[in-house]
Amino acid sequence: VKSSALAVVGTAALPAFLKRAAFGAAPTARTKRLVVIFQRGAADGLNIVVPHGEEAYYAMRPSINIPRNSALDLDGFFGLHPAMASFQPLWNQRHLAIVHAAGSPDPTRSHFDAQDYMESGTPGVKATEEGWLNRALRSAPPRNSALRAVALGPSLPRILAGSEPAVAMNNVNDFGVDGHGPGPISNSFEAMYANSVDTVLHNTGRETFEAVKMLKAADPAKYRPLPGADYPKGRFGDSLKQLAQLIKSDVGVQVAFADIGGWDHHVNEGGTQGQIANVLREFSQSLTAFYFDLGDLMEDTIIVTMSEFGRTARENGNRGTDHGHANVMFVMGGPVKGGKVYGRWPGLAQSQLYEGRDLALTTDFRRVLGEAVYCHLGNYSLDEVFPGFNNRSTEFLRLLRNS
Amino acid sequence: MALTASAPIATGKKTTSQEFPAQHDEQRRALHAISRLTFGPRPGEVQRVLATGVDKWIDQQLHPEKINDSALDARLASFRTLRMSTREIVENFPPEAVIKAVEEGKQPLPSDPLRRAVYQDEMDRLQEQEQRKQDANLSTNEETGNSVKSSDSAGVERREETRDYDSGAEQLPKLPPEQRVKEILAMSPRRRRALASSFKGARSSDFLDGMTAQQREAVRALDNPQKVVVNELLESKILRSTYSERQLQEVMTDFWFNHFNVFIGKGADRYLLTSYERDVIRPHAMGKFEDLLIATAQSPAMLFYLDNWLSVGPNSDVANGVPKNSERQWRRRYRRHSVSVKQAKGRRSGLNENYGRELMELHTLGVNGGYTQKDVTEVARVFTGWTLKEPRQGGGFLFDPRMHEPGDKIVLGHRIKPGGEKEGLEVLHMLAHHPSTARFLCTQLAMRFVSDDPPSALVDQMAKTYQKKDGDIRDVLKTMFHSSEFWSTASYHAKLKTPLEFVVSAIRVTNADITDAMPIAHHLQNLGMPLYGMQPPTGYSMKGETWVNSSALLGRMNFALALTAGGLKGIRVDCERLLPADPPTDAHQVVGELEESLLAGEVSKQTEEIIVAELDDPKISQHRLDDPVRLPNIGLLSGLILGSPEFQRR
Repeated sequence: VKSSALAVVGTAALPAFLKRAAFGAAPTARTKRLVVIFQRGAADGLNIVVPHGEEAYYAMRPSINIPRNSALDLDGFFGLHPAMASFQPLWNQRHLAIVHAAGSPDPTRSHFDAQDYMESGTPGVKATEEGWLNRALRSAPPRNSALRAVALGPSLPRILAGSEPAVAMNNVNDFGVDGHGPGPISNSFEAMYANSVDTVLHNTGRETFEAVKMLKAADPAKYRPLPGADYPKGRFGDSLKQLAQLIKSDVGVQVAFADIGGWDHHVNEGGTQGQIANVLREFSQSLTAFYFDLGDLMEDTIIVTMSEFGRTARENGNRGTDHGHANVMFVMGGPVKGGKVYGRWPGLAQSQLYEGRDLALTTDFRRVLGEAVYCHLGNYSLDEVFPGFNNRSTEFLRLLRNS
Repeated sequence: MALTASAPIATGKKTTSQEFPAQHDEQRRALHAISRLTFGPRPGEVQRVLATGVDKWIDQQLHPEKINDSALDARLASFRTLRMSTREIVENFPPEAVIKAVEEGKQPLPSDPLRRAVYQDEMDRLQEQEQRKQDANLSTNEETGNSVKSSDSAGVERREETRDYDSGAEQLPKLPPEQRVKEILAMSPRRRRALASSFKGARSSDFLDGMTAQQREAVRALDNPQKVVVNELLESKILRSTYSERQLQEVMTDFWFNHFNVFIGKGADRYLLTSYERDVIRPHAMGKFEDLLIATAQSPAMLFYLDNWLSVGPNSDVANGVPKNSERQWRRRYRRHSVSVKQAKGRRSGLNENYGRELMELHTLGVNGGYTQKDVTEVARVFTGWTLKEPRQGGGFLFDPRMHEPGDKIVLGHRIKPGGEKEGLEVLHMLAHHPSTARFLCTQLAMRFVSDDPPSALVDQMAKTYQKKDGDIRDVLKTMFHSSEFWSTASYHAKLKTPLEFVVSAIRVTNADITDAMPIAHHLQNLGMPLYGMQPPTGYSMKGETWVNSSALLGRMNFALALTAGGLKGIRVDCERLLPADPPTDAHQVVGELEESLLAGEVSKQTEEIIVAELDDPKISQHRLDDPVRLPNIGLLSGLILGSPEFQRR
């Protein structure tokens, strides 16, 4: 685990493993991790991974497009928004894959419902009580850890709700009662909740105090960001910094979740500059810092990003965009076969648009997540994780090295 | 340590879960009513309600206008912005748009010396910001409110400036108030801002002591005027929830604000929420829903938040560039008044669906209420022209026919004939009276007052009243409060408190005295529920599961301990006063008295045993050989009780 400390010795800021051509045989006992990032508010995928080879894109977005010469070209057709320059080394080293025209097939354009569906993993079905990331742990190789599933923030998101223990942490370095770890007061509270007949409070209490004790022993505060891991200011960067501390302290984190808001650009979205550029800079720099901070631990880590739906292909009357349909997902990490845009591109001609206005969907988000859950977390019960979705392994996009 | 792993879940011991014989147990009925209609019982409240009679008390709460609330008014008296119009707020606490207008010579500096100083300091801040922007090539954006100075960089700068200031003016607090104000006015803007930014806690009272409310506000505003407006609103929210005698009105104001959520962090909404809550939400909180709906639709806060003020009909005059009457007249008119049209035109012209969608999804029909994407677009066309006159300078609602989309619209299968502003009112009327709206609103109300998953028979009954009484909210509440479902065993203690409910109920039950509510507002942020701070239009969830997680539970325990230990800034609490005047000397009895005060005695055997076991801890028992009758640590015991599972429910 501590090998990460060696990662940035030398001239380049790249972690050592990024420079490696191929991996050796992966030790079997290592913890595999899946980190899920939610861009809440419907990120504008068409201005994030820009189809600069599409004339229609420029015709439909006269004032908010990303000019061809500004986009960071990926493959001659797509380019990254220039505010995401920090992703380039990851792309060049094939640690970053992109899936375009992906998302939830449900037609809703309600933020709330669409987020709910992407977190429950059952688009169109409201009654699902648990989140898919929680279910993903149920049949995954077990880890005896109170911190198997962690969300950074003051509340536990829907995606992690469910029967497997999951912990929400506002601040990794201040997680306990009365500013301390276990002590008499903490033990009293622990006993009260352990003995409570109130099931909800009983269960959460138990998970909480196990995590408190575990964290106390692991002392994540001693892990500082590695040199070269420059987290930008803001909640998202801070969340990822703390998540890196947790992972480095080897407490058995298998799945983790963080979110970043500020994507709902109905008015003055901006192009290469402006609102979307600002939030993309925060988004990409935070993830890149996290990547560099984990160093060799990224060999066993996959990060997947998603957003509830995309935005209208055309800009609206206020130089913004309204709620749309398909979007773009990033998949990054050592196990990823990166440097490629996956998924079929549906095109932006009028007849190719979904309901005549939005990017059509060609890859179900569960296909992407299913591959990560199956091949990376080693949970083969995809029917349980994504009930009602035919997620055969033969249909995977094969964006992971071992798939 | 092995407790969590091995302790079996105790069964059936909780005193509250089985019996709730409505007719026989008046005390429990009173407690139940208080826990639902208020932010939690205060000491002696159950007895007071019993003395009045539960049903009569409920009826009193349904008529807040007849309840004297002068004690609260006194607490709010020093918050002048609460009584100001938006225009006055903007003049006294100028936002960037006003400062820029002054800089460009379009508006004079105010003559009042204090107000003038506020303007000068803001101009200084803007210049400094410009400078920094040039240095760092920082791009900010007006529209989302990202233009507010980055708190981090401001913090660094403040620390530096504060040091600067400290070297000079430590003598200030010793001067009489008038002299102090004079000295402050004589400073350079840069120094004044540094001084004002150092006002925190005890330091601020040293400097502001003896000044009039107006002077205090102005001096605080020297550093950051909009913070004065926002903080007064946040403080008032906490003070009202805690001290208002019109508790049901405050609960309903909270409910409707959340239903028609507006985020305080979005640009001009910082200045608009004071009026929004006071003039739009509270007066209609128990009135007719249609009135409330219209008031929100025409409120600057909502028009700005959901972007409708910018929505322009694609075939409207503005979109087509058609001048009104003569070109010259048009130019003159829009230069003077209608900045909105000019700006909207500058941004090109087209529909914005944001409001149209949320109006149906969140405000009226509910997401399954039977509308389509086509309806969303049609409603957006209907509401084109519902705009604002100079929102950043405090202007109000304006229907601008030149932005309005001409032609028929079809909404939910109904043809809306061209009628300008009336089209919108017609749609609001239709939505307010739609059966889906009745069901959706009544479900939401029952979720707030009865249980997370309310019985559908109750919702039906309430929806029937809603339809019969023309959407009268008070009548719907009455139906609910007199339903058997409201009084059922299943609903007793069925609701988990939200962070706001938890924090305020803890302050109320300990009879704490709030001298500065801002630290409490910060605690709510840490508990995941910043006041007015929900960015998406959905508002906060009323479901318990949202609020039960590790982070939140620890946060609650820590809040409880800090509150009862007297360790929270801005709150004075004396837990010993929770005991009777002649307190028992036996430690076990002390625990019993505290449980009576804080939980109305509704505590499980398990929790009680654990707290009693704590008495063996010397930190709690406080036994000393030289003082054998010393009381146990009342604060710590109270903290344990407020952090217990029992106190998390209402």
